[in-house]
Amino acid sequence: MNDAIDSIVGIDLGTTNSLIAFADESGPHLIPGPGGADDVLLPSVVAFDESARIVHIGHEARAHAVERPTTTVHSIKRLMGKGAAELGDELQRLPYRVERRAAADGRDIAVVMVGEKSFTPPELSAVILRELKERAERHLGCRVAKAVITVPAQFDDAQRQATRDAGLIAGLDVLRIINEPTAAALAYGLDRKDRGVIAVYDLGGGTFDISILRLEDGVFEVAATNGDTHLGGDDFDQLLIDLFRGEIRAQFGIDIQSPAIKQQLRTLSENIKKRLSESEAAQIEIGIGADKLYRRTVTGEEFEAMMAPLVERTIEACSRAMRAARMTPADIREVVLVGGSTRVPYVRRRVGEVFDRRPYTALNPEQVVALGAGVQASILAGVRRDMLLLDVTPLSLGIETLGGAMGKLIPANTRIPCRASETFTTFQDGQTRVKIDVLQGERELAKDCRSLGVFELTGVPPMPAGIPKIEVTFLIDQNGILNVSATELRSGQSAGVQIIPSHGLTREEVSRMQKEAIQFAREDMTAHHLIDVRTTLEFDLHKAEQMIRKHGRLLDAHEHETILREISELRAFAHECNDPTMLNERREAFNRKTIPLAERAMTAVLQET
Amino acid sequence: MAVYTDPPSSSATRAPSTKCQRCDTLMRSPVVCEACQALFPVHDANYFDLLGLPRRYAMDDARLREAFRAIARSVHPDRFGDDADDIKELATRLSADVNHAFQALSDPVRRAAYLLEMSGGHGAAESRDVPQAVLTDVMMIREEIEEARAAGDQAALDRHRGAIAQRREQTLGRIAEHAERLASSSDEQKKELRLLLNSMKYYDNLLAELAEDPLKSEAERSRGLKPAARTQDE
Repeated sequence: MNDAIDSIVGIDLGTTNSLIAFADESGPHLIPGPGGADDVLLPSVVAFDESARIVHIGHEARAHAVERPTTTVHSIKRLMGKGAAELGDELQRLPYRVERRAAADGRDIAVVMVGEKSFTPPELSAVILRELKERAERHLGCRVAKAVITVPAQFDDAQRQATRDAGLIAGLDVLRIINEPTAAALAYGLDRKDRGVIAVYDLGGGTFDISILRLEDGVFEVAATNGDTHLGGDDFDQLLIDLFRGEIRAQFGIDIQSPAIKQQLRTLSENIKKRLSESEAAQIEIGIGADKLYRRTVTGEEFEAMMAPLVERTIEACSRAMRAARMTPADIREVVLVGGSTRVPYVRRRVGEVFDRRPYTALNPEQVVALGAGVQASILAGVRRDMLLLDVTPLSLGIETLGGAMGKLIPANTRIPCRASETFTTFQDGQTRVKIDVLQGERELAKDCRSLGVFELTGVPPMPAGIPKIEVTFLIDQNGILNVSATELRSGQSAGVQIIPSHGLTREEVSRMQKEAIQFAREDMTAHHLIDVRTTLEFDLHKAEQMIRKHGRLLDAHEHETILREISELRAFAHECNDPTMLNERREAFNRKTIPLAERAMTAVLQET
Repeated sequence: MAVYTDPPSSSATRAPSTKCQRCDTLMRSPVVCEACQALFPVHDANYFDLLGLPRRYAMDDARLREAFRAIARSVHPDRFGDDADDIKELATRLSADVNHAFQALSDPVRRAAYLLEMSGGHGAAESRDVPQAVLTDVMMIREEIEEARAAGDQAALDRHRGAIAQRREQTLGRIAEHAERLASSSDEQKKELRLLLNSMKYYDNLLAELAEDPLKSEAERSRGLKPAARTQDE
């Protein structure tokens, strides 16, 4: 048991897998699951039953996917901060149902339908986060309420907000959102204490990031970042799925529509991809109907040709990042590979070719981001004072100008925190509200950029049209999240800012979901709750034992014996009892009894000093 | 963490080194004490003072970076993880200012423009004039580039890139001369500096158009232009 009450954890909330880490003086450590020290990956998959109750999370949920494809939710990260209208093709690929939740204020929020119930992506991500949080609490023996969560560097404001909302719903105060490649660089820098410029090539399950960083005196300064939030290992799988489906249709005249077979095909394709990372060719066999068999051998060469256009997209993003950083491969000391998809030999080879060097692969590409998040947690906790991250904003921020152009206020790759101001006025006499549509993106026209939402300035003092001068300050904080404030310059009055996010949740919605999630956990996850109570109980019992050891002399023989007996009885009871509420009541009763002892111990300590 | 509201005084050429009101250490930047991490909500300090650097054009890049890293490191909100929200917010705002100052000073053109404005000269918004000679020059180069592109003449494109980069360097050299003696400059000289600064954008745009893919090797580049190049060879 650890006495640290205020542990901050680092979480890599991935498209495919999620991990949790903590750091102490000796450095960052991954927190394992029930399967032992090597069980550090939690598949980001949640399985429900028909009545929308959670039945499995992680490995078991993934195993369940074939049987219950429509009620098993994976790749939820792809839906974070997105509207249903934006998803398009994505929806075709997901076996579960995604719909648009109409909101009265015009927001478009994608929700996952499980039976009759609908869940927003932050709520589903929160299920994964809660599982990780409980894992950490069991391992560390203390409450875990603060976290650093990583996101792809290319995540926009809405996607970052959605991630923070997921943390809140899971009962985590998200102290910091950091970019995955930057987190990886922190872990890398810890490993090799030297200076120079590195490139982090991060190809995960669903997203691609490239970041160029300057490492000097413990400062990790991002020079530029680029990438693609819709490109990853999932897309490599999809190439194989499309190939097999097409051939089965041609050979047998069968178009695979059943979600169960689609899911099976996905699993098989993932396996083929993995096998092709180690051997020249791989074969699959799928039984079609009673007596027909689809058999296919895929060679490495064939798969590479299929992947090439996707991999070239990552190379183009690398070029854009290098140009923004004003660098050439000669300036780069090392190219660090991150993300499970960088295990694909073809990816390694192409990266090696274009950067003209052998990439650095000594770090485990699946674990390094979580470890870096752990390092950042220790920076925030003040444990590490020798390291600091200076990141950039991945996308330009602006507002729509006359004629529908995107007027940039903060260009991409600007160091964060950063701010910019712009003055607005009114168009009507006595107007007290002004609406500003805030955009993010690199395109010239406002309609091609992403709308972050409408910021409504309220409480503008009534004046003739055009007279008010409202200075609006856009501040992007260290998390890459936008904060807006406004002041009417003539009156010096600060205006209120109401935000209607285009795709996000309002504060009220998040706090409601937070409450619901707790109830939900009580109803459906009794087992988890029980483990929680047992952990807390063990922690309390341990504390009591320590106190008796240190201050036992303050007790008379009878008190001493009673407390020791209670401790052993309660331990035995914890093993038998399956009712978390009852167990918790006993725990509270025990704590009430030990309060007088604790008070006496405290007095004794105070008198000694 | 303590916050002090009295702004430090300023002087003409360089902010006097202020002592921290809390720990009495000499401060490099008016916004933060690197020794005790006290923050000072000063939002009107000029970029040079903010980074504790002399107010002049000549700037050692390594020294600028070093100053930025040291100050950014003390003022970054991650350093105030345990503090109240208003302290974190102040650290965020001050970090934004420090980042902004560094961004501006690390670009020689923006640095010169900033010094020009500090000395009462025109900003880019007030005077957009560009010397006629530069405009004519740029127009001619642009035509030649288009011809070279149409003919797939990579060598000519490389030659143009070199020539433009050289013109840009020369202009930058003249900007440096002007910016170094701004203190004794006449209004006429300040106007000339403004013109030089305005013409830089034209060279930068041309260079951006001719920019190469930093990740393409020489071989790949010539392969990209093959069809047209072959016609020429024949």
